[in-house]
Amino acid sequence: MSNLNNEALAGPLARIRLSRRSWFLIAALAIAVTPLVFQDSYWRTNLIICALNVMLAIGLDFILGYAGQLNLGHSAFYGIGAYASTLLIMQLGVPFWAAFVLAMALAGVAGMALSIFAVRLRGHYLAIASLGFAVIVHQVLINWISLTQGPLGIYAIRPPPPIALPGLPVISFGNPANMFYLVAGFALLFYLLLQQLVRSPIGDTLTAIREDEVSAASLGINFTVWKVFAFGVGSAIAGAAGAFYAAFVGTLVPDAFIITESFTILAMVIVGGMGTLIGPVWGAILLTLLPEMLRGFGDLRLVLYGLALTLVVLFMPGGIVQAAHILRARLGRLLVRPPTGAAQP
Amino acid sequence: MLTVALQQGINGLVFGSLYVLVALGLTLIYGVLVQINFAHADVVTIGAFAAYFFTFAFGGNYLVSIAVALVIGGALGWLINAAIFAPLRERGSELLPLIATIGVSILLQNAMLIWFGPIPYPFDSPYSNEVIRLWGGTFITWQNLIIIVVSTLTIALLYAFMKFTFMGKALRAVAQDRETAALMGINPSQLIMLTFVIASALAGMGGAMLGPILVLTPFAGTTVIVKAFAIVIIGGFGNVEGTIIAGLLVGLIESYTTQLVNPGLIDIVVFSLLLLMLAFRPTGLIAEKREENV
Amino acid sequence: MTPGASASEAASEGGALDSEGILFEASGLHKSFGGVRAVRDVSVKIPASGVFAIIGPNGAGKSTLLNLMSGLYQPDAGTMRFDGVDLVGLPAHRRVRLGLARTFQKIRLFRQLSVLDNVVAGFHVHHAIPAWQYVVHAGAFARDHVRCRDEALALLAFVGLERRASVPAASLAYGEQRMLELARALATRPRLLLIDEPAAGLNAAEVEKLLDRIVALRARRVAVVVVEHNMDLVMQVADHVLVMDYGQVLFEGSPAEVQKSPAVIAAYLGA
Repeated sequence: MSNLNNEALAGPLARIRLSRRSWFLIAALAIAVTPLVFQDSYWRTNLIICALNVMLAIGLDFILGYAGQLNLGHSAFYGIGAYASTLLIMQLGVPFWAAFVLAMALAGVAGMALSIFAVRLRGHYLAIASLGFAVIVHQVLINWISLTQGPLGIYAIRPPPPIALPGLPVISFGNPANMFYLVAGFALLFYLLLQQLVRSPIGDTLTAIREDEVSAASLGINFTVWKVFAFGVGSAIAGAAGAFYAAFVGTLVPDAFIITESFTILAMVIVGGMGTLIGPVWGAILLTLLPEMLRGFGDLRLVLYGLALTLVVLFMPGGIVQAAHILRARLGRLLVRPPTGAAQP
Repeated sequence: MLTVALQQGINGLVFGSLYVLVALGLTLIYGVLVQINFAHADVVTIGAFAAYFFTFAFGGNYLVSIAVALVIGGALGWLINAAIFAPLRERGSELLPLIATIGVSILLQNAMLIWFGPIPYPFDSPYSNEVIRLWGGTFITWQNLIIIVVSTLTIALLYAFMKFTFMGKALRAVAQDRETAALMGINPSQLIMLTFVIASALAGMGGAMLGPILVLTPFAGTTVIVKAFAIVIIGGFGNVEGTIIAGLLVGLIESYTTQLVNPGLIDIVVFSLLLLMLAFRPTGLIAEKREENV
Repeated sequence: MTPGASASEAASEGGALDSEGILFEASGLHKSFGGVRAVRDVSVKIPASGVFAIIGPNGAGKSTLLNLMSGLYQPDAGTMRFDGVDLVGLPAHRRVRLGLARTFQKIRLFRQLSVLDNVVAGFHVHHAIPAWQYVVHAGAFARDHVRCRDEALALLAFVGLERRASVPAASLAYGEQRMLELARALATRPRLLLIDEPAAGLNAAEVEKLLDRIVALRARRVAVVVVEHNMDLVMQVADHVLVMDYGQVLFEGSPAEVQKSPAVIAAYLGA
């Protein structure tokens, strides 16, 4: 169906096309308002976890959805970020924000290392290699007791230091609302960064690599460099999420970064719609908050993840984003009758 | 000293042959479909639970329960292929089926968690405790002997099937070139289904025999599956001989490493080996290189 | 002319090599796969303008030679130079920057991208954007964006696809996909374009259009190497023809000479 036909049918709905700036303002507004709506501390905790998951999901989407690299080890970078920042702060007395940046860098480097290592591997081999990498990282975290305290975990991790701006009350991050603003704010920032990259020729390059590496090389694209780049950026963002996670939860155990965590992030990306950037945001929000809302379901949460993932792949591989498009087209057709003599395909 | 070495060797063979059973399933599926079935692990777990319930809740003979697990495994394989791989085959995506099986795996594992709970089930087969004395001061439990005998028989039968029967050759034909095989009058879909059923039956059987020697929880399969992946890669995806050799090797390496190092480090050793393999010989120890045709 | 005669002998016998200079030259190229020697002791000189055809029966090694030239394969032995730059060991993507582009025998478009975006992807080596502007899209970014779009549309017009610009590439007809591949390769602004079996799968009208565009490339100062196994098609546009058989150079010369050569006729009829 040509675009022309679609537009004619979608009618007034097609004209509701908000500019990027409007969406940004809406998002910022939503973030600002949310803690005011959810005053309950249980919900505020969930919202922070939600924001962390959004960060993880968009990072993975950059690697998987755009560069086409099947990374099943994303939890490893999350863990590296969390442990790196925590150990830097508690063992070496590094100030929080410096540790934050270093943790991001370390996670990013780890991602690039995995990518360089796996550079000749396609599809399934890369999936297994990344899985193997995640298992190794997890086992190292458990077994290197002198460094990480092993399964006993690290306790009494402090939140980010309070910020004192002149003339305003001190912003303390022990307060969940402030912590939410911080994490969600960074999530929005990372989203914007990735969006800008994707809208630039880099986005075209990554898509080309995803579609056909050999073809991309024939156009001058050094796919190795770009795969490593995508991995580096995506895993650095996961590292940032890890640093925030540690500072928020206050305790750190290796089992928070078990490989199943990689699968749940993957589920968020796929259910949301991989390769769309906004899709994984919705996927993360949905898969974090929905199971909490159906509170009595406890253990069923993961069953729902598995079910959602399988059904989406089978019936709606483009995820929520695809469903939204279809819905919009159907709704458009309901509202507007095609003009007589309209062009038919 | 020698006794210990020999004993570890026997243990290594026991685990090795079970790994081979599980890994063979994966490699067969990959050979025919060029797809990885992540839910394979859960077929193993379900096989173990099936055997457990048949033996203890139903009061059946343990040896028969192995056959029951085999059948249930096969049925599950049929279901997974029919529900996931067959419908997705037309789409031609390489990654979607894999992701779908991840979804199924999460689903099955957590469903089992809800039904069976996280507490390990004490799966003591009637053969676990009696031992046979062997030469050099080593011994083997009846359970382990059964494992070795049954596994070896099954693997040998499978190998013979692949090499010498028409079906087996047809299977290999489909693995090498699906279109041409179809032109030769072979129905790829049926053969793929057959492969799945055989592979999953093997997994179920492996689970039934693993039940008594592993910790039986809904996650029992996962502990084995990640090693099975390592084995399939070392042996070469789709390569039956390679998988057999690699599986026994991994079993032996694991067995000897437990003596020397902390068990938690075994995973690190095996996976580092895996990553090294992927770096230098991604096609496996024995497989040949294939140039990409543009 | 005996089979296996070297290129230089062929040239002195009257092949019409252009006097503008040699853009690409290779000497003593060898490539084997397992036990099969796909390319044996092949030497070739390609001038900076005109259409150079490589023909031969199936299995002659033509595509392998092309893949060696474009960098998809590395030779087992021999030398290759493009405009004086040594190509041996240089990966494929680096050769594009030198001005060497190619299309594929099996169409390899970016199916999920639009027609226009496929061509825009070809501008990868020609973007003029400072690194920071990939994140903050300022002046140079916008200018580059506009320029790429305009150039892409012009290339689509060159191959007759300008009206299909926003359509997903997968929905084009086979013949149109071939033309899109051509436009995309041209986006890299090559000086030498390697085209691998372009006529395969095209009907007579599409082939005519394709050949017409290949000739038009001469005016754009793009030298073309065409691999084809169909002799008649190529005879219409080629300035110079290299005939391969069993991985070796069989004969070289003008189209007319090739058609009359008994060795060439024997190779095709005997094959």
